[in-house]
Amino acid sequence: MGNKQTTFTDEQLEAFQDCTFFTRKEIQRLHGRYRELAPHLVPLDYTNNPDIRIPLALIVTMPELKENPFRDRIVETFSEDGQGNLSFNDFVDMFSVLCEASPRELKTIYAFKIYDYNRDNFICKEDLQQTVVKLTKGELTAEEVTLVCEKAMEEADLDGDQKLAFADFENMISKAPDFLSNFHIRI
Amino acid sequence: MSINKNTILCYRSYCLNVSQSFRRCGSNLRSEIGGKFGTSVQSYFVFLKWLLMFNVFSFLVNFGFITIPQLVYDFSPNVPNTTSFRGLEILTGAGYFNYTVMYYGSYSNETLEGAVDYKMQLGYFFTIAVYMVLCGIALIFSMASSFKANYVLADTTSGGAWQLLCSWDFSMTNERAVRQRKNNLRESLSEKAQRKQLTSSEKLRHFGIYLGAWLLSSSLTVGCGASIFFLCRYEQLTLLVPFMVSLMNMVVPLFFSLFNKFEHYSSQRRQIYVLVARNVLLRMCILGVLCYYWMNVVATEYSCWESVVGQALYRLVFVDFIFLLLGSFFGEFLSNVVGTRLLPRLGIPEFDVARNVLEIIYAQTLAWIGIYFSPLLPAIQILKFFILFYIKKVSLMQNCQPPRRTGRAAQMKTIFTALLFFPFFLGALAIVGYTAWSLTPSKHCGPFRGLDSTFSVVEVWMVQLNSTGGSEVVIFVYQNVIRSEIFYFLITIIILVIVYIFWQVSQGRKQLIVLLRQQIVNEGKDKSFLLEKLQNLQKSQPNIRSKNHKKVGIPSLLARFS
Repeated sequence: MGNKQTTFTDEQLEAFQDCTFFTRKEIQRLHGRYRELAPHLVPLDYTNNPDIRIPLALIVTMPELKENPFRDRIVETFSEDGQGNLSFNDFVDMFSVLCEASPRELKTIYAFKIYDYNRDNFICKEDLQQTVVKLTKGELTAEEVTLVCEKAMEEADLDGDQKLAFADFENMISKAPDFLSNFHIRI
Repeated sequence: MSINKNTILCYRSYCLNVSQSFRRCGSNLRSEIGGKFGTSVQSYFVFLKWLLMFNVFSFLVNFGFITIPQLVYDFSPNVPNTTSFRGLEILTGAGYFNYTVMYYGSYSNETLEGAVDYKMQLGYFFTIAVYMVLCGIALIFSMASSFKANYVLADTTSGGAWQLLCSWDFSMTNERAVRQRKNNLRESLSEKAQRKQLTSSEKLRHFGIYLGAWLLSSSLTVGCGASIFFLCRYEQLTLLVPFMVSLMNMVVPLFFSLFNKFEHYSSQRRQIYVLVARNVLLRMCILGVLCYYWMNVVATEYSCWESVVGQALYRLVFVDFIFLLLGSFFGEFLSNVVGTRLLPRLGIPEFDVARNVLEIIYAQTLAWIGIYFSPLLPAIQILKFFILFYIKKVSLMQNCQPPRRTGRAAQMKTIFTALLFFPFFLGALAIVGYTAWSLTPSKHCGPFRGLDSTFSVVEVWMVQLNSTGGSEVVIFVYQNVIRSEIFYFLITIIILVIVYIFWQVSQGRKQLIVLLRQQIVNEGKDKSFLLEKLQNLQKSQPNIRSKNHKKVGIPSLLARFS
């Protein structure tokens, strides 16, 4: 590492390296990607921690997220205000959780948050219905959607309260070895 | 909703360096192929790379321990004056190559003098034996580890909940691929929603069709085997047999796919398993017939029969390679052209992962059988896999679309490794073992000439050690451990006891799981009962609630119960 860069101080890079699964080079690359979403908004110099947030509409234009049916929910989950406006910290957090090195427990927690649309800490039938609609582009009939959701709820709900708590979700994930490789966005 | 930063702070224990180096090494593969086509296609290329490693190791070991001593001892092959190198040898493996170190026949059986006294017989025998054992161990470990990771209690994982919540591949960035996946998911979900119960006459009909398809495929397989056996007699037309073998391996699976379309299966997974099983049976049958011919007919008729078998295997490997390239050309390139220009209804071809994986497993089996008869065959195999990797990658990118079924890549990987091990590797090991144990080596060529069987090399060595007063330990181990039957008997008993204990433990754990599940359900009922009681209590005493300034509201109480 010989080239001098003025985007971050060394302490900031250390902190990023500690808290995420990225190396220094990757964090600088991520900053480049963050900046190219809104070059007029994001300064090149982050040494004094400016409070800049990029709105949801710009983030979901990224090629990694553009085609993902859950892109809005993903960005909302990682934003502090819940509306999808990501600061650079949130941005790095998002890709760090979704990267390959991130452990299963972490991914499970965030997957649960993403699928929980009404943010009540449970995946209820309406949440499942919204997932089905997003995955099938709304081309199933209403009865089919209801039937599919009922079946899914029956399978995954262990304690019979017609909602999936985090424990139910975790149990289902533990039986799915593909989850780690599926829940992964490469940047 | 705010992120709790404390929960993600300092997960530093994950070796960043290791992950970084892995990422660089496989990043090309994963970003290009995995991003566009999904993990199941990526697993094919990873599998191909892994098999390539086996061959590189084999080549290094064989070249280092067998070929180099032979070359040092006798550099120039003793070729009779009549044969000279013509280009045709690359195709047939006979002629000039027959007299080089390519085949078993040109290795000497003497002790090579030099810096070290190198016993060629022992060197040849132990190199091959140790390589096979190491391969077996590597396969067992790989199979066991992927089995443990990927086959966890797969009871209802093909169900709706899994499909909705776990099956979407977040790393797909190609718009076409995403659209395809959505369509397939929609079809699969609507099929599930509309599934009706079958009447018993329909069930009988399905079963009849299923049985009929199995009968047809078995008779096709047996027919292929019989025709190969008859054709083997025309060995003088050197390329006829490999050509027919490869042709059958290419054409008959198409029939199997056709039968598959008429049958009805309860789940997609069963469909793939049955198709793979039929293909495996076909290839095993053909290989079995060939090996039977080599062991029983060639071994008795020809003078330097190991080299003849080595040449036959070389030709099989080579023609198989040509057919793989042709298959890629016809199956992918031409299908793409037909599908886009001539018959748009067919669409762009898919990359058939199962068929391709079976092809490379079969190719690897040929190499494993051939190691004994032609020590340098791994070199050809390395070239073959190397070229195949790049051709398939280019063909995939240009011609194919991502597979339509959301493949269970992790389980497929386990199945492929298990397939590699069970029928194919063990079969190759059995053939080589049978050759070494029962067949008489040829009398005039090769490192084992003059002996009754290859294994008697060890006996001769033991006798030598005994007479010259060699290592006592080795002699003791040989006499009392390897040759004594009681040792194997005891080991078998111990292994059986251990297996029985583990089986009982796993039965006990299954029962425990059932009990724990029931307990979860009971706790849920308890929770809802208590919550109801709490709500009734709150309703009946509203005054206390309004007086209480501390916000001991219902939400926090509920949160404490959940």
